[in-house]
Amino acid sequence: MSVSINISSLTKRYKNTEINAVDNISLAINKGEVFGLLGPNGAGKTTTISILCSLLKATSGTVEIMGKNLATDLYEIRSKIGMVPQDIALYPNLTAMENLNFFGRMYGIDAKVLTERKKELLHVFGLSEKAHQRIATFSGGMKRRINLITGILHMPKILFLDEPTVGIDVQSRTVIMDYLMTLMDNDMTIVYTSHHMEEAEKYCSRVAIIDMGRVIENGAPKELIHRYSECNNLEDIFLEITGRSLRD
Amino acid sequence: MSKYIATTTKDIKLLVRDIAGLAMLFGMPMVLIIVMTLLQDSTFKALEEKKLPIAIVNLDQDTFGVSIVEGLSTSKFFHVSELGRNYNSIEELKKQVTDGNYQIGIVINKDASNLLRNNIKYNILQQLPAEDSLIFGNDPISLMKSVGIDIYFDPITKNSFKQSIVSALNQYSSGVESKIMFEVYSSLFQELLGMEMRNQGDFSNLVDVQTLYAGDNEEFVPNSVQHNVPAWTIFAMFFIVIPLAGNIIKERESGISTRLRIIAGSNLPIILGKVTTFFFVGLIQAISMLLVGIFVLPLFGLPQLIIGGNYLTLLVLTASISLAASGYGVVIGTIASSQEQASIFGSISVVILAAIGGIWVPVFIMSDFMQILSMISPLNWALNGYYDVLLRNSGMMEIMPYMLTLIGFFAFCITIAWFVRNRREMA
Ligand SMILES: Nc1ncnc2c1ncn2[C@@H]1O[C@H](COP(=O)(O)OP(=O)(O)OP(=O)(O)O)[C@@H](O)[C@H]1O
Ligand SMILES: [Mg+2]
Repeated sequence: MSVSINISSLTKRYKNTEINAVDNISLAINKGEVFGLLGPNGAGKTTTISILCSLLKATSGTVEIMGKNLATDLYEIRSKIGMVPQDIALYPNLTAMENLNFFGRMYGIDAKVLTERKKELLHVFGLSEKAHQRIATFSGGMKRRINLITGILHMPKILFLDEPTVGIDVQSRTVIMDYLMTLMDNDMTIVYTSHHMEEAEKYCSRVAIIDMGRVIENGAPKELIHRYSECNNLEDIFLEITGRSLRD
Repeated sequence: MSKYIATTTKDIKLLVRDIAGLAMLFGMPMVLIIVMTLLQDSTFKALEEKKLPIAIVNLDQDTFGVSIVEGLSTSKFFHVSELGRNYNSIEELKKQVTDGNYQIGIVINKDASNLLRNNIKYNILQQLPAEDSLIFGNDPISLMKSVGIDIYFDPITKNSFKQSIVSALNQYSSGVESKIMFEVYSSLFQELLGMEMRNQGDFSNLVDVQTLYAGDNEEFVPNSVQHNVPAWTIFAMFFIVIPLAGNIIKERESGISTRLRIIAGSNLPIILGKVTTFFFVGLIQAISMLLVGIFVLPLFGLPQLIIGGNYLTLLVLTASISLAASGYGVVIGTIASSQEQASIFGSISVVILAAIGGIWVPVFIMSDFMQILSMISPLNWALNGYYDVLLRNSGMMEIMPYMLTLIGFFAFCITIAWFVRNRREMA
């Protein structure tokens, strides 16, 4: 299996802060896997993902994406990655279709291809009927789904998702995760963050558990459960190694 | 190019859907322009209508007295009341002036016209050879002391008022004098030459002082409408800063601009798409406000806005103003860290730039320091440009400096915004 993302000694300290939000992380993520970044609030998941998709500059360390250095081949890398942000980054006063049209054209997708993709994705995510309604009128689950569609319109080689399943019902979550599995089958590399251990256990080929900016455990869920023999599932392991104290 | 078109269509759609925002963008400026023009126009008129009250007792009732009363009554500076025509009226007049009902009382003495005629005849006789000494009849004519007019002042009357009434009276009297002199001469000629004279002519203004405005086109004398419509049009155009900055900040806060950053390519189409949208907003605003000046203000009894004939120059100038305003909006939207910051800073800075730039109070009545300061305001460049086109009927070449500075300002703003945006990306 070829390495898709190679992270070595990645560190990020925000301006005017005392601690490293990301502290010396090294990870290798393979092509065609669904990689879960898990960790309590404030662990550094969003920070890590932001660096990986070139939104944030690392304080030190290197990131290689498909063999290219993020620091030097920024624009080449950007055209090959997709990002689904934690927030619903869409125009509430435009319809679903208008949002997709706008972002599709910004990606530079050919008009014919775009029409087909929109149709297919809206269908898969059960939004065909609502395509001409404004996002503002959408439920939380519908917003998450259209937010996801927007991030994959251009069919990137690597997809980053920051909590794509937060605050939605089981139905929406299942549709989203199942679709991500089909993308993975098409060789897309998927890196995603979540607070749902059960979900991660079910869908991820590998996970990294992060706390206070550091990777404190990583491996395939099954392998981890095997290793922590006293734990029955990923959630138990998570609590075991990150502790029960509340986070900021 | 297709990204630029995509952004522009998107921004136009967003704008059109925001009905309340649209109403504010187009409705408020029109209300503003009507209110401000009406307000300033009535102040203007009130000043004009502050006429000085004058009481007159005219005991003469001949050419002299009648001409003086007529002259004062038609002047726009005095409000004339005739009190009566007998000697008791003089006491009444003094009392009214002392009581402060009138600041000035004027008495035109009895026989003032006759005395004047007598003295003119006397003067003529002095010029004629001795054998013609009986030409005005057998009665001897001697020079009489003639006090045609008595003026009573309220003690509190300002000197400037006194001077203006005295000079007005002098002006009318000398007019009447020449009129009477001509009368006497005509009757004399008639007598001597048996020639019928046509007693016609105007003697009041044989020599007049004309007040002119320095400028090529005398028709375009500024009035409340000619100043206010362009001034408030510029003001309103610069207020697109707030929705434009709001649009940029909303995109940033919602995470949309983050999303757009990953979509490879330059920021420029995104910025220019917004500029285009709001550029047209400003243009439409300006056109509709000028139309209000032409068609709506006259309905309120105000003078019509005269835009002269240089439509193309006017359009190009308006376009550069709209561009400058959009540029300012982009830079504020980029630098401000929140919606509130942008709208507070945006509106206050526009108000300050408007005040400095002569939108509220014309620049020429400001102090020297403020006049120099006014030159830093883009609204001032815009206003000067409008003055040139509307009042001085200037063409494209003449207002080129204003247009170039406005476009330069736009370029400056966009450069800063672009720079800040790029720098932030690298954070
Ligand atoms: N812009 C910023 N400036 C300063 N500190 C920041 C900034 N963004 C995040 N942090 C800090 O960095 C740390 C990691 O934050 P991050 O958002 O990456 O956590 P997270 O794992 O995504 O948390 P959550 O699960 O709540 O989304 C936290 O301590 C946070 O307070
Ligand atoms: Mg996060």
